[in-house]
Amino acid sequence: MKKIIALALAFSFSALAQERVTLIRNATILTITKGTIENGSVLIRGAKIAAVGKDIAAPAGARVIDGTGKFVMPGIIDTHSHTGVEGSVNEISLPNTGMVRIGDVLDGSDISAYRQLAGGTTAALILHGSANAIGGQSQIVKWKWGRPVSEWPVAGAPRTIKFALGENPKSANFRPPEGTARQYPQTRMGVEEVIRKSFTDARDYMAAWDEYEAKRKRGETAIPPRKDILMDTMADILRGNIDVHAHCYRSDEIMMLLNLADEMGFKIRELQHVLEGYKVAPEIAKHGAGGGTFIDWWGYKAEAYDATPYNVALMVRNGVLTSINSDSDELARHLNHDAAKAMKYGGLTEEEALRVCTINPAKQLRLDNSIGSIEVGKDADLAIWNGHPLSIYSHVDTTFIEGDVYFDREEDLKRREAMRKEKEELLKKEEEESKKAKAGDKKEKTK
Amino acid sequence: MRLRRFVALLVLLCPVLLRADAPGVYAITGGTVHPVSGPEIANGTVVIRDGLIEAVGANVTIPPDATTIDVKGAHVYPGLIDAQTSAGFAAAPSRRGGGGGGGGGGSSERPPEPTPDSLAVRNVKLTDDLMNDGRSIGVTTILTAPSNGIFNGQSVLLNLGTGSLESRVIKSPAAMQIAFNPRPTWTYPDSLMGVIAYLRQSFFDAQRHGAAREIYARTPAGLQRPEDNPALDALQPVLRRELPVVFIADSELMMRRVQTLAKELNVRYIISSARQGYALAPELKNAPVLVSVKWPTAPADKEDREDQPIRVIRDRRMAPTTPAALAKNGVLFALVSGPGKAGDLMPGVRKAIESGLSADDALRALTINPARIFGVERQLGSLERGKIANVVVSDKPIFEKEAKVNRIFVDGREIRLPADDKKPGATPASPIDGTWSLTVSAPQGNVSIQVTLKAEDGKLTGTYSGDRGSGDIRSGTFDGSAFEFAISATAQSEAETTDWVFNGTLDGTSMKGSVATTLGKFEFSGSKSE
Repeated sequence: MKKIIALALAFSFSALAQERVTLIRNATILTITKGTIENGSVLIRGAKIAAVGKDIAAPAGARVIDGTGKFVMPGIIDTHSHTGVEGSVNEISLPNTGMVRIGDVLDGSDISAYRQLAGGTTAALILHGSANAIGGQSQIVKWKWGRPVSEWPVAGAPRTIKFALGENPKSANFRPPEGTARQYPQTRMGVEEVIRKSFTDARDYMAAWDEYEAKRKRGETAIPPRKDILMDTMADILRGNIDVHAHCYRSDEIMMLLNLADEMGFKIRELQHVLEGYKVAPEIAKHGAGGGTFIDWWGYKAEAYDATPYNVALMVRNGVLTSINSDSDELARHLNHDAAKAMKYGGLTEEEALRVCTINPAKQLRLDNSIGSIEVGKDADLAIWNGHPLSIYSHVDTTFIEGDVYFDREEDLKRREAMRKEKEELLKKEEEESKKAKAGDKKEKTK
Repeated sequence: MRLRRFVALLVLLCPVLLRADAPGVYAITGGTVHPVSGPEIANGTVVIRDGLIEAVGANVTIPPDATTIDVKGAHVYPGLIDAQTSAGFAAAPSRRGGGGGGGGGGSSERPPEPTPDSLAVRNVKLTDDLMNDGRSIGVTTILTAPSNGIFNGQSVLLNLGTGSLESRVIKSPAAMQIAFNPRPTWTYPDSLMGVIAYLRQSFFDAQRHGAAREIYARTPAGLQRPEDNPALDALQPVLRRELPVVFIADSELMMRRVQTLAKELNVRYIISSARQGYALAPELKNAPVLVSVKWPTAPADKEDREDQPIRVIRDRRMAPTTPAALAKNGVLFALVSGPGKAGDLMPGVRKAIESGLSADDALRALTINPARIFGVERQLGSLERGKIANVVVSDKPIFEKEAKVNRIFVDGREIRLPADDKKPGATPASPIDGTWSLTVSAPQGNVSIQVTLKAEDGKLTGTYSGDRGSGDIRSGTFDGSAFEFAISATAQSEAETTDWVFNGTLDGTSMKGSVATTLGKFEFSGSKSE
């Protein structure tokens, strides 16, 4: 049994050996924000990037990785993930469930997180589903596979919430069980009304608390209003303390939400999916919202018919801060491919294509001070690729988060045999024990 | 004078006449006494008088009025405490309202969801069979509460003795019990994250309710009258940290969530279930733990076992090491049945001992530890003078596989155990009894599920495990050939569960029929395993 513990620990942490100083040298460095450095080096000290350039000498004791023929790229950031959530991603029961938090139900044992590391993805925005107009508070994480899940949330990251427009929140795709009344809202008008009313209710709520505080200051006896964690959330959006990420498809509903946000006095940080973003790109840019979209997924439901793979390029060219995201455990493992497609459809430059899965999503998450590019002082979240990451033939060799290795292809391949053996041994032992137990039972019966 | 003497005699006799089963005076002699509070005593004596323990030791003078019970060669223990059960409450209801094509039987059977002000002692229905299940393995005291709902209500600690329920209560409420059970879809909260938000709001509401009442009591004039709310009233002792919360949490993730939530809510708490306690034993010192000994089992089918990820297989191996790990780390813990279906906890206890727990620690985890955890260690948990006379005599050391409980005293009264052939479980076997390997032909491929079934009086009970999770079957019926039961199937990619209702017929050692799911009806067939 002790052996199992030791093995289990070894598997969880072998990839996390403390490599406090690492020099990757003689690689092509795709810094994203500061151009491409041929035969360049990246020095990682602790959790941070300490130096980026041409001739960096290895400090004493540093682990040196030869990057000849390889490419170093910042960790890919996925602003639409549902990975690592225990239980349902939808709290379907009410039109507005802004009180629920993904952060309460993170699941660090979701193997998809590790697989995404193998695709060079290091950070993500974990969102609720889209069953209701306001789904709940989302969570920005790094895929620190093997570390306790309490260490996954990015410290100091903005609070975020997911809104949803269109077919899903009007219950077109979520039917209640037979005999149960259909839930409001059932139309796009209703979705708008749910959101508007939530904010007017929040204003009333804030006023009630202001009145109570004023009474207290005057020394009057007063009973405090009910503390309502949903209304607190809505109030925090109005105060600018929570960023809104809104699931949307059609240009009319996009305009509805931007206008509603202006009316209520809050900002949309990122429009999610936004397949018809190209139709209203200048308006989105004017509002200051970003757009996180798919490159070539369309037609999978009524509101996704008017999509085009040129959406990314059209939004970029019209000044929208645009990213490509996954909404999928599978796609999250190779977002580099979708970024590359943006060069084919609409002619983004290589650097623009790389931006849509690195610095742009970092900006949408307001974390561009610490992630999204290879710059001195930023978190050492990066991946070493065996070829250019925009090539279909390339794969990740090593992925770092904050200076620690969380994925290493060679280590992974080595570990597979050991894991296969361990599993075989465990099953064999189990079988023997169960046979023994059965034999014991029979003996007893014959007694 | 004569009359007076006669009256005096009558007065003396009266209680005896009125209460024929009044606790008597017994001296249990000749056995090896395990007092728990001290080292074992060879050839020791335990004297019981009027429901309490009068003396324990090697050189105890047997009172002249005692009935001597010679148990030479046997072992004498304090009554065991099973500090987490749902005994006397209906099984947890179906996850989804209405239940798709499932015959509609589920919803009418659904017990009402308890609230914080639900008192287990008011609703518990303990049958003799249920009590004998416990007594026959030496359990004299149980904690019970419903297992359905989010607030399971206030649990009760009671003796499995005779007499009125009220007279058997040791402590009520014992704790506020909270489980993380989402409500049926479309009723808030229907997700785990919703349950946590719901709890957070409930505690804020309770705080505000308490504060509002206090302010209003002081100065009612000019203030709006606070609403009456018994559920929020019931949470006040929890907020004051007087009444502990028992959180049902099985996995490492859930236990860590409980730690975070309990800190946030500022409540005194106990973790119950704790299957993956081995993974965080050193971090469990802040709160007592009730470890359920229902250890995970392997699927019967070899291919199913091989299909499981190594994580699941490792967990199955490691789970029974939890008690040993807690003991090593100095965590105050008890061994319990756990919420849901009861059953014999001894095989699970033995497994924990095989996995490194000492028999002494196991005994403490079933006696003095649970007594401490629920604050009744001055009354229960050891054989000491003055404590409640819950005493068990076993022919062999109690954790040995062949051990048999011969005699059992609860509150100083001897309870006669049913003869072996009358014991529940010894009813004639039904042809459906046993373990079945089922294959469901779902559109996305075959789904393997193993079920262990038991029929009794037309009712079907049992457990399932396999590709769609594991748990107890529900709403089971069996008429001799046709059967029906439901499981909470876990979807392949998502962690949601939906009801799968099996309808089929039995033919010797094979069965077939259809499964109603939210995605439609699928065929299934099955065969009986060895």
